[in-house]
Amino acid sequence: MDQKLISFMIFLPFIGAILQAFLPSSNAKGRILLSSWAALGSSLASSLIGIALVLSMNTQIADPQAGEQVPWIGAYSISYDMAVDGLSALLVLLISIIFPLLIASEWKQKIGIRGMHGLFLVLQSALLGAVCAQDLFLLFFFWAISVLPFYFLIGIWGGEKRESAAFRSVVAAVISNALLFAALVLVYYSVDPHTFSIRELASGKLIGKTFTFLGYELSVSAVAFALVCASMALRAPVWPFHGWFTHVAEEAPSSVFVALSAVTVPVAASLFVRLSYSLFPDTVGQAALGIVIVGAINLVVGGICAIAQRGLKLLLAYICLAEMGLILIGIGSLSSTGVVGAVYQEMALGLGIAGFGLLSGVMDDRTGKTAFLDAEGKPGFGGVATKAPSVALVAGIVIASLLGFPGLSGFVGHALLMIGSYSVHPSMVIISGTAMVLATYYLFTMYRHIFFGKLTAESSGFTDLTLREKAYFLPLVACLLVFGIYPKPFIELIRPTVLTLLSTIK
Amino acid sequence: MKEFLLLLPELFLLLTLAGIIIGEIGYRGEKIRLTSATALIGLVGAFVQTLLTYQYGATQIFHGAVAVDGLALFFKLFFILLALLTIGTSVRAKEIAAEKRAEYYGLVIASTIAMCFVASASDLLLVFLSLQLMNVLSYFLAALGKKSSYSAEAAIKKMAFGSLAAVLLLYGIGILFAYTRVLNIQEMHKVLTAAPLAKDIGAVVFMLIFLALSFQIGAFPMHLWAPDVLEGAPTPASAFISVGSRAAGFALALRFFIIVFAQPVLSEGEWTPLGGFDWTKVVALISGLTMVIGSLLAFRQVGAKRLVACLVVAQTGFLLMGLLVLDRIGIASLLYNLVIELFALVGVFYVISFFVDELNSDRLEDLKGMLAKRVPESIALILFLACLVGVPPLPGFIGKFTLIGAVISHQWYSLAAIAIIAIAIGTIATARLAFSLVGDFRKQKEELILPDTARTVSLLLLFIPMLLAGVFAQTLLSWAVQSLNFVIW
Repeated sequence: MDQKLISFMIFLPFIGAILQAFLPSSNAKGRILLSSWAALGSSLASSLIGIALVLSMNTQIADPQAGEQVPWIGAYSISYDMAVDGLSALLVLLISIIFPLLIASEWKQKIGIRGMHGLFLVLQSALLGAVCAQDLFLLFFFWAISVLPFYFLIGIWGGEKRESAAFRSVVAAVISNALLFAALVLVYYSVDPHTFSIRELASGKLIGKTFTFLGYELSVSAVAFALVCASMALRAPVWPFHGWFTHVAEEAPSSVFVALSAVTVPVAASLFVRLSYSLFPDTVGQAALGIVIVGAINLVVGGICAIAQRGLKLLLAYICLAEMGLILIGIGSLSSTGVVGAVYQEMALGLGIAGFGLLSGVMDDRTGKTAFLDAEGKPGFGGVATKAPSVALVAGIVIASLLGFPGLSGFVGHALLMIGSYSVHPSMVIISGTAMVLATYYLFTMYRHIFFGKLTAESSGFTDLTLREKAYFLPLVACLLVFGIYPKPFIELIRPTVLTLLSTIK
Repeated sequence: MKEFLLLLPELFLLLTLAGIIIGEIGYRGEKIRLTSATALIGLVGAFVQTLLTYQYGATQIFHGAVAVDGLALFFKLFFILLALLTIGTSVRAKEIAAEKRAEYYGLVIASTIAMCFVASASDLLLVFLSLQLMNVLSYFLAALGKKSSYSAEAAIKKMAFGSLAAVLLLYGIGILFAYTRVLNIQEMHKVLTAAPLAKDIGAVVFMLIFLALSFQIGAFPMHLWAPDVLEGAPTPASAFISVGSRAAGFALALRFFIIVFAQPVLSEGEWTPLGGFDWTKVVALISGLTMVIGSLLAFRQVGAKRLVACLVVAQTGFLLMGLLVLDRIGIASLLYNLVIELFALVGVFYVISFFVDELNSDRLEDLKGMLAKRVPESIALILFLACLVGVPPLPGFIGKFTLIGAVISHQWYSLAAIAIIAIAIGTIATARLAFSLVGDFRKQKEELILPDTARTVSLLLLFIPMLLAGVFAQTLLSWAVQSLNFVIW
């Protein structure tokens, strides 16, 4: 039973997605409700299994747990090998928490609701699979599936320039996939016997392996690591490859952008950690400083661009960019506290961004816009707090978590990251501290413009959260608090795996 | 008697062909016209016969002119299945006029017979004759679209290229015969291992024959017919020509190159080029050029059929990777990819044929918004195309992986890199088509057209086997390897 649970978790949303296509197609209200409940049900069922799986994990073990392994293409030693370990546990939680909320937040979508729910479910399956896969082929397989749903989600439900945004995102993602695929194939054929299993490839199997390309002798580890870096930088918004991301931010509907920034970005970061730490320990050791520098640039660029923003969506995109920089600093610190912090922050960031994104969706639903300052710098909203106190409360908590206020999940991630990295790169931590001060400035400016001040015409009709909206904000806020107040069990989940991985890096 | 037993599938097809012709002659406007049923039943019969032929093992008949071995049987099954799917999917196509239908079925079945002979011929004259028979029939097939002038142009174009290829092939065969004085390829192999061709003559002969075959498989520089012919021909015929002609070319290339231009090395299931001329480098160059050119051309197309045709050219480039590594694993992955491609391409052209019937156009701008109107068909088209170019999670991806793996394990790293780039370009080209199907969801009014059950079922009948080919990739690959284990090389 325990062995099959993980497959249920991964494939239940997918079955839900297929149901969306086959449930009777009619615009009658009851039928739409039926398919929406089927979508929410399959997503929730998978989430509950995921949460149960993670909570039942043994915190003393570094190895993958609750695994299922079935040979798939034996001739190429590809197997269906799924398990949860310290790196993936928190992301399973994150995906499990966010996707049901996204489906709930698009409950009243008027255009092609079943298609949207179906695509969200496919995404949930794909990302869960990518996070849990212990086989490189399988990992790539699921990770690559996640490209097409985004393409359609942006292209169909996006804003004015959705076509070019969708096209840009798919081009970035396809190039990223090609690079990752090249890296995996290279790794596969450089070990003998050929294998895709991450367990077997771990612990420095690739050290000293070389191959000849166009007459040059190149190190497999270095080339594959470079390919993985470039590939992940294209999927997670890492400077200088973030152009498509901000473009999508402007055009995508809020819920889709949440799926992209709050789930896919942390997943990309986590895959980067998994691949680079376990496969290329020697190269990571050499490239650590580079990762930290790119992280710092991300942080500064994201912070500075965020100050100039007048709309919630782009602001969110740049916050995501900056926070990604912070995570990279943690990953590159190679200290156990820093890396644990980075992994924890992946999840904390996801939750915070999700809250922010869903709030901008709420704004969009009510007023049809997300710009809090107009072109002349005059506030677009104002005094919303008096009209909608729960929105103001939720927004306050989300922003506080993004800034790392004590008691919220962001604090734990930020604190661990800073403490862990300080011993290695003190100057970087000073930079990131400055960036956090910047973030406090621009986030609270935004908050002031929207929620305080004079009541404007637009916000006078602003209604408070409905019951449905409360239903999906409540779990999110609760998680922000739980992960902030009692992070110990979750950190214990991450720690053994991270320590094992770090022990192979010199 | 043995000859008769081993040729039963072809004879059965011949009987079916006769049945169709006689039925058509006797047709006097009755309500029920049994041509489709005759064709389908005959093909199923031939398929079963081929399966039964497996029990006799690998033999040669007619004094070594025809080989009935693993490769031949694999391709016979492949061609019969192709004919079955082609006829099955074109039963309701409007591009084939009702009075032309029997003619169309006859041509398809006659081509299938020719293809079966191409797959099993091991005598150079028979190779040439069956190949020409197949090509001549495909010119007719291409010209079957009476209403469109493009159709006639397609036929002429294919004929022009085909004649050139035939002449090149004949030259190549002539030189080979002049040197070896035999026509049977097994005997030719013996002669050539004893006294290999000089390097420059080997190069000339190889280039002549390879150019002729690259017309069949649609490889650079003889790929130019593909977009025009596949666009101009009636869409159901495009499916048959694109898969059939290329698969026959590959069947021939496998037998020809491995027996005449290569010799086995000590380790089991591997070969090395015979004589001083290393032709694998030429094939590698052509393979890389073909996939890049095909993908790039696909990227710029404005018509769906042309776009698919360019992807087909790119696909040829990928398949060549399985040939040039000269080992059993590479060839098995080539065969695996052909099977995937069979379902994917027939599916793609089936949906496009339906769109052409519906809209009288296959231009991307006219296809805009089809997803909202024709849901199952559009989704199927996107999935089939994604499978063709090798987008995960569809089995085409596993196929591409096996091919790229084959070249990497022989240290062709740059070719592998080019292949990955070409897949990326192909994916983006496919995304363009997918995008025009999506169109603008918002501007249209909700006009729900209930999906046609019969069509949805036939799409599923194409899609499910394709998906199963991915899930049971292991079984299919080992079947391909087993087929190769009993080939008379």
